[in-house]
Amino acid sequence: MKDPKELKPDTLSLHAGQRPDPTTGARATPIYQTSSFVFDNSEIAAGIFNVERTGHVYSRITNPTNSVLEERISALEGGIGAIATSSGQAAMHLAISTIMDSGSHIIASNCLYGGSHNLLEYTFPRFGIDTTFIDFRDIDLVKKSFKENTRLVFGETLGNPGLDVMDIETISSISHDNGIPLLVDSTFTTPHLIRPFDLGADLIFHSATKFLSGHGVVIGGLLVDSGNFDWDKSGKYPQLTEPYEGFHNMIFTQEFGPAAFISRARKEGARDFGACMSPHTAFLVLQGIETLGLRMDRHVETTVKIVDYLNNHDLVEKVIYPTLPSHPDHNLASKLLGKGCGAVFTFELKGGREAGKAFIENLSIFSHLANVGDAKSLVIHPASTTHHRMDEDSLKKAGISEGTLRLSIGLEDREDLINDLELGFGAVKKISK
Amino acid sequence: MSSTFCFSGPEGLKSTEHPIVFIHGTGMDHTVWTLPIRYFLRKKRNVLGIDLPGHGRSKGKLLRTIPAMAEWLINYLDKLNVKEFSVVGHSMGSLIALETAALAQKRTKNLVLVGTAFPMAVSEALLNYAKDNKSEAIDILTFMGYSNPARLGRNTNPGIWMTGSTKKLLEKSGKGVIYQDLRACTEYGSGFESAKKVSANTLLILGKKDFLTPPLKANDLIKSFNNPEVKVIADSGHTLMIESPNTVLDYLIEVL
Repeated sequence: MKDPKELKPDTLSLHAGQRPDPTTGARATPIYQTSSFVFDNSEIAAGIFNVERTGHVYSRITNPTNSVLEERISALEGGIGAIATSSGQAAMHLAISTIMDSGSHIIASNCLYGGSHNLLEYTFPRFGIDTTFIDFRDIDLVKKSFKENTRLVFGETLGNPGLDVMDIETISSISHDNGIPLLVDSTFTTPHLIRPFDLGADLIFHSATKFLSGHGVVIGGLLVDSGNFDWDKSGKYPQLTEPYEGFHNMIFTQEFGPAAFISRARKEGARDFGACMSPHTAFLVLQGIETLGLRMDRHVETTVKIVDYLNNHDLVEKVIYPTLPSHPDHNLASKLLGKGCGAVFTFELKGGREAGKAFIENLSIFSHLANVGDAKSLVIHPASTTHHRMDEDSLKKAGISEGTLRLSIGLEDREDLINDLELGFGAVKKISK
Repeated sequence: MSSTFCFSGPEGLKSTEHPIVFIHGTGMDHTVWTLPIRYFLRKKRNVLGIDLPGHGRSKGKLLRTIPAMAEWLINYLDKLNVKEFSVVGHSMGSLIALETAALAQKRTKNLVLVGTAFPMAVSEALLNYAKDNKSEAIDILTFMGYSNPARLGRNTNPGIWMTGSTKKLLEKSGKGVIYQDLRACTEYGSGFESAKKVSANTLLILGKKDFLTPPLKANDLIKSFNNPEVKVIADSGHTLMIESPNTVLDYLIEVL
């Protein structure tokens, strides 16, 4: 007997969650563009509603195209289940709202995507959920930041925009010692570069808008459950361990075991908040994931060359990328991110804001827009766009200056990209004269 | 008693009149039966979703043999004052159900064996992996527990990755649990004799693509029962309640 193993990532990227359509023989995943699904009879309808039969009811809660995507990301991450959402922000909101109530507290990295920072700093406090933002490199501070009402620890695999590498093993270990799960935003890395569950994370979300879909054509999110966290043992999550009146007093840990979290997220969060993904979006994300490994390798390969080019340029103050020995997390990146540190990074131009403006406005292949993880290369000035709501002190803590530019390296020819960057530098030289 | 966890719905067991007893397989717990349990609860039936000693939420020492597990179950039902019952078991649980139906002939009204075979001996290699708590044991049970197509997914339960959830459930089992269970299956020797003693209505639900208990290996067991009903699900592997939950439920409804 040959020992069976989990299928490899490149196979899962193409097949997980899908088999040829039994009715039509369609090889690609069909787009089930329907709001709802016909029941065979009243008894079967009652059975699906009561979670005694499997099936689809309404596309806000489940949809067959979305289900393929949910299984695929679960397989790639080493999780047990997932929910596709309307955006990465919706996935983050779903994770938090499933296990937190008014009066609870989050410990978050201070190096977050601006949208995540806004949600935690300004929006959730209106609903009684507060966040302490800290430097995850300061392990003693992480340990000291737990409060009686702390219910979640949250950070990004690669912090935004300084690419702080999260020491997932250490942070998750501290979280678990306190009976708290670790939620990780793995958007920048994707399961091709790192699998946070293997290192101890409990929940992952992605903005599928970025590298997973990979072509800048959709907005979508994915929330994935590892099934690892012991909600009963923690004793801090009545949402999962006590009767839920909203579903006939269901106790999720009793009825679904390791799938308690993802079950409540769907039965409550998807149902009540309704931030569902369109099946057409799910199809496009699936198309992206089919080539995830190939694309990520190429993204990373080109990025490393461009980082090297910029790092040796006279008009560049510094480049922030974890493979560079100057990056504070260089050693940790070497340990955790053997396949590369992604394709999004920042660099600081000499000449400040004006230089940055001239540089961006003279690029032609790089597109100036607020996104990353596209097949096309992108550029943005964080201080005036993605992080414009942060005050000077917060910007400084996040490693952003007036001259900081963020690049997302696409799949174009490397030489063409460098020539394009030369156009930008030419403009900077003109204004500096 | 108090160390045993038994799921009977959010309100607990309302009456001990003819409950349906669900028994899980190696290293698992009652949650593999959640869907059919919810059906029978909706139909106002009494249900006992058992976590065997040392499994899931139940404390207590692991039981080392299938007959000991059956005796334990009968003793548990005695303490609940259950007079007659139906019993449903999957894999190792099917052997426990069989032995229970043989020991408590008159009290067992219906017997359902899901993913079963006799003998149910596992390979020496698997036992050794399990003995050393190696991940290979969980991998073998997980991936051989599904049909080849199901390893690619397409779960009828939306958004749940089948092999991932089974693997996680097995990983959560306590140290030595899988080994003890596999050894109990391997050493169980009285399947034919017990089947001959059974007087309950008997249904076997088998998966045509089952690698762990292929239907062929259930043939002699089937012949030992008095007029059993046999249902073979063409597209399913060993973990039938996950791969083909609606078909399994339909068959359970027919007999229970």
